[in-house]
Amino acid sequence: MNPDIAQRILSQATLDASGPFLALALGVLVLVFLELLPALAALRQIVFLGSLAAAAWAATRTLFGPEIAAFEGTYVANSTTSWWALLFVASALIAWIFGRRYYRDEARFEGEHDILLLTAASGMVLMAGSRDLLVFFVGLETLSVPLYALSGFRRARRESVEAGLKYFVLGAFAAAIYLMGAALLYAGTGTIALAGFQERSELLETPLALTGLALIAASLFFKISVFPFHLWVPDVYQGAPSPVTTFMATGTKAAAFAFLLPLSFALPPESAGLVAAIALITMAAGNLGALVQTDMKRLLAYSGVAHAGTMLLALAGMHADPESGGASQAVLFYMAAYTFTAGGAFGLLTMLETQGGRPVTIDGLRGLARQRPGVAAALALFMLSLGGIPATGGFLGKYLVFSVAVRADMIAAAVVGVLISVVALGYYLRIIVAMYMQPEDATRPVPAESRPLSSAMALACAAMVLVLGVLPGWFLANVR
Amino acid sequence: MTHDVLSLSVLVFLPLVGALLVAATPKQAAGLQRGITLLTTLAVAVVGVALCLRFDGSTAAVQFGEAAPWFTLPGGVPVHYRLGMDGLSVLLVGLTAVLGPIVVLSTWGHIHERVKEFMVWLLAMQTGMLGVFVSLDLILFYVFWETSLVPLYFILGIWGGERRLYATIKFFLYTLAGSLVMLVAVIWLIWTAGTTDVMRLLDVGAGLPLETQLWLFAAFALAFAIKVPVMPFHTWLPDAHTEAPTSGSVILAGVLLKMGTYGLVRFGIAMFPGAALEAAPWMMALGVAGIVYGAFLAMAQTDVKRLIACSSVSHLGYVVLGLFALTEAGLRGSLLQMVNHGLSTGLLFLLIGMIYERRHTRALDQYGGVAAVMPVFALFLVFAVLSSVGLPGLNGFVGEYLILLGTWQASPWMAAIAVTGVIFGAVYLLMATRKLLFGPLVHSENKALTDLNGREVVLMLPIVVLCVWMGVQPNAFLDRADGSLRDVQARVERARHLRTASIEVPPAHRLEIEAR
Repeated sequence: MNPDIAQRILSQATLDASGPFLALALGVLVLVFLELLPALAALRQIVFLGSLAAAAWAATRTLFGPEIAAFEGTYVANSTTSWWALLFVASALIAWIFGRRYYRDEARFEGEHDILLLTAASGMVLMAGSRDLLVFFVGLETLSVPLYALSGFRRARRESVEAGLKYFVLGAFAAAIYLMGAALLYAGTGTIALAGFQERSELLETPLALTGLALIAASLFFKISVFPFHLWVPDVYQGAPSPVTTFMATGTKAAAFAFLLPLSFALPPESAGLVAAIALITMAAGNLGALVQTDMKRLLAYSGVAHAGTMLLALAGMHADPESGGASQAVLFYMAAYTFTAGGAFGLLTMLETQGGRPVTIDGLRGLARQRPGVAAALALFMLSLGGIPATGGFLGKYLVFSVAVRADMIAAAVVGVLISVVALGYYLRIIVAMYMQPEDATRPVPAESRPLSSAMALACAAMVLVLGVLPGWFLANVR
Repeated sequence: MTHDVLSLSVLVFLPLVGALLVAATPKQAAGLQRGITLLTTLAVAVVGVALCLRFDGSTAAVQFGEAAPWFTLPGGVPVHYRLGMDGLSVLLVGLTAVLGPIVVLSTWGHIHERVKEFMVWLLAMQTGMLGVFVSLDLILFYVFWETSLVPLYFILGIWGGERRLYATIKFFLYTLAGSLVMLVAVIWLIWTAGTTDVMRLLDVGAGLPLETQLWLFAAFALAFAIKVPVMPFHTWLPDAHTEAPTSGSVILAGVLLKMGTYGLVRFGIAMFPGAALEAAPWMMALGVAGIVYGAFLAMAQTDVKRLIACSSVSHLGYVVLGLFALTEAGLRGSLLQMVNHGLSTGLLFLLIGMIYERRHTRALDQYGGVAAVMPVFALFLVFAVLSSVGLPGLNGFVGEYLILLGTWQASPWMAAIAVTGVIFGAVYLLMATRKLLFGPLVHSENKALTDLNGREVVLMLPIVVLCVWMGVQPNAFLDRADGSLRDVQARVERARHLRTASIEVPPAHRLEIEAR
């Protein structure tokens, strides 16, 4: 190798920029190595957690500093990407802790599970920091391929295999569409770097480039689960093992948004109306879909679709103030609140499913408030936060997103949006009704055993939801 | 920030502290939980009344103000934790504080299950309601406004009647829909004005062009109209009231609905006076429609609790009518009527709750001749009904009289129709009283009814005293609101002046002024 290039690549700035990714990737390598030595299996958890902690530490180093560009500007680390990285770490940690002892038949493959989880997380970090269509694609596949495997991880279960296959086939299509879009964009503009698009913005107006952009947007919308690309979500979320669902619901969406935000300057301003319309339809599709569900995972999957729609509304309003970064901050804050809220909710469902030995339905939650008041209270708090009731992070996220829309003069869209979100309370309240207001079902007893680690995690999630709602000052001042 | 014990922060968060204390008690210690709750609400009542007594009503200035930076919204708009009391809130704060221990005492009779949870929600509710009345930051107001839904949702949903789940979800979604439309207006207003300080927003709002004012007014008024509830939005109320436990009904009628009327004055009329003037005829019409329609609804009820709920719709119609008459008498009357309604209707709900605890039915035809076995109960009920129908010498009379006077000044027609409501009100309430109390004792079950016990009498006495006091000496109360009401009136007059000025000036001339 040319020593000059080697020096450029291995500079301190590069190491700083790619720190979170390196930490996770190293963790993966060590875990693979440990798999070879069964005697060292006890170290697995330490390596897993250590690697997450190292990634978080690396991310905080670039949290307040200036933007660092690495690898010829194809990858950057700035405040936003560092926040995203922290969020991915949190998401992986939540999924992992709630998923302890979830696998029975597959317990001996838990090592693989952790490796795949960590690999996916590293892919997310790569996606958020990439400023180049191909680097992003590498990140996307590093995320997606482990997730396909994870979705089908419970190989003895039909639903799980079905979810894995469904996700894989559709995900492969989405990846192909993405590549096609990237190729067209390259053909139209002669570059695949985001900075290059900015320089040649006039070329983005050509039909070739527009088609490419539309294809890329479609594939990202697939990951975010935006209408009409959301149909896979309920099936996959329901069928996939619950810890994986927890991770997917919070992390994947965030990673796709993390790239969509810097990319969206390339979208022509006239598309704002279209994006807003898609956002509203997504909200409606998600909320109406969730309204008729009985299975909790499926219900939260639809609710996740609705939340993706809400965040997309901020993207639609982005063109009004591209400089101030209001939309980016709104989405980041919303996603942070959503990660802890939905992560906590899915996590508690994972715990209940593990203990009860069957999927949790709304009726299955009956009497939870009596048997396990703490779990019920946390779940109720998460539901209220998902519904956007004040004093929770969900409310402030909603406030920020809708204020982006209002500032962009899309008041009609904002009004329609809030009215659609009333529908959401219809099913969130139903869950609280089951837990607190309905007599318990004698045929389906609520498991009473308590789990210290999961409880601590739920408590942490609940605390974060409240902090983001009541004392958001520090976050609002620093998240951008 | 003051460090006085008699501060609004203490008032607002004392119940929440009590709630945390109750939450920390062991599950089975119901007596302890009740005791803590009662002591907390008593302390809140003392602080609240002391603040009201210290309040100087001659000025519109905010008193007991507190402010601390909270967080900064994107765009650099600082949000404050800002509390303060003025003439519009003082009486309602007093009402909320005084009703607290009364409601707690009333739960002795009907809350026997999950006492701990109930007390926690009850106290949380009080924090929410007090917060709504004393927040002077728009975001803080909104936070209190919407979070106060949650405790009532639990109170209704857990301790309510048979159809409680339907009623709670309807109540929650209905009010939430209105609130969220208001949220969009809140976002727009904060973004345009660059501040969340309510007192500054009052000036900003009044200065906006009329069309903008109308839109914002519509959004705010919708939220408040649903809460009040004004006539076409009233359908959630009878369901919620009927299904709620007694204490829930008392809070709902006594305080929660007043959040809507309070919002209409502060954020409807005072903030967008130009739009309020435009909308006044419509709002008055809705008020009158509510008065008459509510009365007819009440007349047709056989369930006595539902009857009182419908009478609420009618009585709150008066409040809306008086507010949007936009005259001095109308505003004063409405403000007084808010408190009156809280006391009289609260008392009625308490009484109905007490007899329900004994007889477990609310059907009017199951009663009759109860006065013979429960003379004390009968005395109180007759008193409550007379106060509610506006017997001169009691509180209801002064409020209704002022409202009708103020309405007459604005529109004699409306006043004429509204007067019929007074008559109808007397008809259905007195008819219900007759069916309940007098006549022969047809049902043998009623013969064994026991009269009110000491607790029940004691808890109602403060309301009775207040009803008489307000009837005899209404100015002792109204004087506290005077300064702020004059201020609201002045804002309306300014807008009226602007409107007539802009109509008189011919367009060409106006252009010239703008060119200059």
